[in-house]
Amino acid sequence: MVDFEVPEVDYTRYTNRQLAAIPLVVLALALVVIGGYFALTGSPVSLGVAFTGGTELRVATTDSPAAIEQAFDGDVDSVTPVGSDNEYLVTFPPGAENIETQAQSAGYEVISVQERAASFGADAQQQALLGVGAAFIGMSVLVFVLFRTFVPSIAVVASAFSDIVIPLALMNVFGIDLTLGTVAALLMLIGYSVDSDLLLNNHILRRRGEFYESTYRAMRTGVTMTLTSIAAMAVMTVVSTLFGIPLLPEVGLILVFGLSADLMNTYLLNVSLLRYYKYEGIAA
Amino acid sequence: MIRENWRLVLLAVLVVVSTVALFGPLGAGAGGDGGLPAGQTDSPTNLQYGLELSGGTRVRAPLVGLTAEPVDLSGTDTGQLQRDLAAELNVSLSEVAVRPPTQESPQGAVEVLSDNVTRAEFASAMQANGFEVTEEDVRDGVTQRTRDQTVRVLNDKINEGGLTGGTVTTSRTPSGETYVLVEVPNANRSEVLDLIGTPGRVQVVALYPNENNTGFNREPLLDQNDLTVSGVTSRSTAAGTQYSVGVTISNPDAAERFANTMRQEGFTSQQNPNGIGNCDYVLGDGPQDASEYCLLTVRDDTVVYAASMGDLATTINNGQFVNSPTFSIGAPNQSAARQLEIDLRAGALPTTLDVDDEGTTYFLQPSLAQEFKLFSLITGAVAVLAVSAVVFFRYREFGVAAPMVLTAAAEVYLLLGFASLVGLALDLSHIAGFIAVIGTGVDDLIIIADEILQGERVKTGRVFESRFRKAFWVIGAAAATTIIAMSPLAVLSLGDLQGFALVTIVGVLLGVLVTRPAYGNVLRNIVLD
Repeated sequence: MVDFEVPEVDYTRYTNRQLAAIPLVVLALALVVIGGYFALTGSPVSLGVAFTGGTELRVATTDSPAAIEQAFDGDVDSVTPVGSDNEYLVTFPPGAENIETQAQSAGYEVISVQERAASFGADAQQQALLGVGAAFIGMSVLVFVLFRTFVPSIAVVASAFSDIVIPLALMNVFGIDLTLGTVAALLMLIGYSVDSDLLLNNHILRRRGEFYESTYRAMRTGVTMTLTSIAAMAVMTVVSTLFGIPLLPEVGLILVFGLSADLMNTYLLNVSLLRYYKYEGIAA
Repeated sequence: MIRENWRLVLLAVLVVVSTVALFGPLGAGAGGDGGLPAGQTDSPTNLQYGLELSGGTRVRAPLVGLTAEPVDLSGTDTGQLQRDLAAELNVSLSEVAVRPPTQESPQGAVEVLSDNVTRAEFASAMQANGFEVTEEDVRDGVTQRTRDQTVRVLNDKINEGGLTGGTVTTSRTPSGETYVLVEVPNANRSEVLDLIGTPGRVQVVALYPNENNTGFNREPLLDQNDLTVSGVTSRSTAAGTQYSVGVTISNPDAAERFANTMRQEGFTSQQNPNGIGNCDYVLGDGPQDASEYCLLTVRDDTVVYAASMGDLATTINNGQFVNSPTFSIGAPNQSAARQLEIDLRAGALPTTLDVDDEGTTYFLQPSLAQEFKLFSLITGAVAVLAVSAVVFFRYREFGVAAPMVLTAAAEVYLLLGFASLVGLALDLSHIAGFIAVIGTGVDDLIIIADEILQGERVKTGRVFESRFRKAFWVIGAAAATTIIAMSPLAVLSLGDLQGFALVTIVGVLLGVLVTRPAYGNVLRNIVLD
């Protein structure tokens, strides 16, 4: 049987700077990726049909992706296989017409069509941004109310920020579009991320006991939590991809990215900030 | 005993309630709810499924139109204003609506229900008619009355078009735009768009030579409001099956006017002019001769059928027609007859949905949707298994891990019961929400288990309560953050995400208030044994 025991990290061997350096470098890299993408395309991540408008068509055919692209008169944005039995997701820019008819006359079986007007997409973009912004601010306010001290609160908020930014950058790296599903996943990350951070802060600040012991206790629980969630989400990603179910793979993958980032952020960035606060911040 | 285990008792009670909601005959789904998509009555549960899990078509779009509001209409001849505006803006009469104040909407309004008019044009046309209306007073969208009427007609069109179980609702975005949402299970996109994409304004128009025989007069005689439909009839003739829609003129004045026009313009006379059986009209081209007497069926300003006067002439001439004004309107084929019947029954849409410019449409094959239903169930089950595996490896104690998995499963079960109770139509976003709830649920159970099991063994109820409360601080705080993070989504109209946010919020609440305390209760029984 696999032995599953959360290892005890000897934090005393590293300085706060050393601990914080890794997550900060990763965060900086992520910001560079997002910034670079923004400079190139004018948006921080590549936007899916839900946000740009356009048509998304799912067809069943034995044709090759190249042949599928040929079958339509207008521009085709992308052709991606889904599921396992010769099904493809074909996306078109806004304004494409008669997509269904063209697909049918090419002999393709139309499984699903989704069409969004460009202005509707722009509206959705604005709302999603508003939603994520409001969620983040709401979370930050609540965290500050709960702890009422600056450093521990900012540690939670910074870690949550990084947990969202890193998956966003990874989306650019892996070519995942921002869809309604991925927005949901990013928001869910706020919840998951704060879970383990609250636990750590709570153990270190609100309990008696020595710093490293408290940290280890929080870690044992927190790492188990995060690993459980990662397991659930990884399995969901794999299974739903195999089945060709929409939405679920994107949600799962983003959460796997974010939860992994959360492990790093919580137990390197957060721990170092809390240790600074506990040993130097209060004394000063 | 019960006093100590009340949390468990509460969970058990809610599980029973959920079971009744899910499988009992009293659930929301069993009530013969009109909104229930067809083919779902044989489902083993009372759960309702959205389009992503049942298949069908969804169209979401704002209504075409501009509204000037408020407009002081006191002392205005509304009919005259309507005609003047239509002429000024070069739109048809039916595309202008003048709404004098009513009890519900105390302000007068004027609408232009056309794509081809800009706000500036509308405002200047109003100014030309003596109203102080600036471009700022004109907004996108239509009045409540037009919206209500449109929704009613859409509903009729969909549910009388052989597409059962369709629903039409309106939703308002936080930015103040109103969208109309049409959902029709088991129908494909083009079927639905055909049905709702055009106003379906039907008129019976008399076409006859003008006074000096240099052209034709076209005189609209009847429209939907004047006609009651009895049904589609078919008749076999030598030329094949002929289809027609039987109608009765329900308005005596209209019947009188119709009969008079027929008589006066020569439709019913045998000679000089010979109106009977004298119609040679080619669709898309027009009358073929200088002397034609046709009854045209016009749909949305296009002639769809041309008929000549037949047996009806006898009853019109002898005056019987006015007493029983029944006749039939021909159609080129069965589907056209069916379409005509729907149009006549449902009435004309005051305005159309702006699908191309601002709308979204979605279609999913019903058979694939069925697969998604099964597959997402399997996905959820596999996710639970993965969680169970991790938890078992970590705790190595059946008594701790098994209740954990069971509790998380109970949480989802309660959520399903809730969904069935409130009649929530499940979509993929809800499934994602369920899996998210399993995730956060187990996270919190791990916090409780670790808090209670670590360190010295708990020996008294007091120690247990104190540790449980400590664990609960974190859980409560985390739940509050999740709810805050999700609430913007629950309010914003981002379609799919609303359902996801709702499920997550309700799931977290159920978890914090019911299932997680119950798990604590199980642990208490284990450690205090």
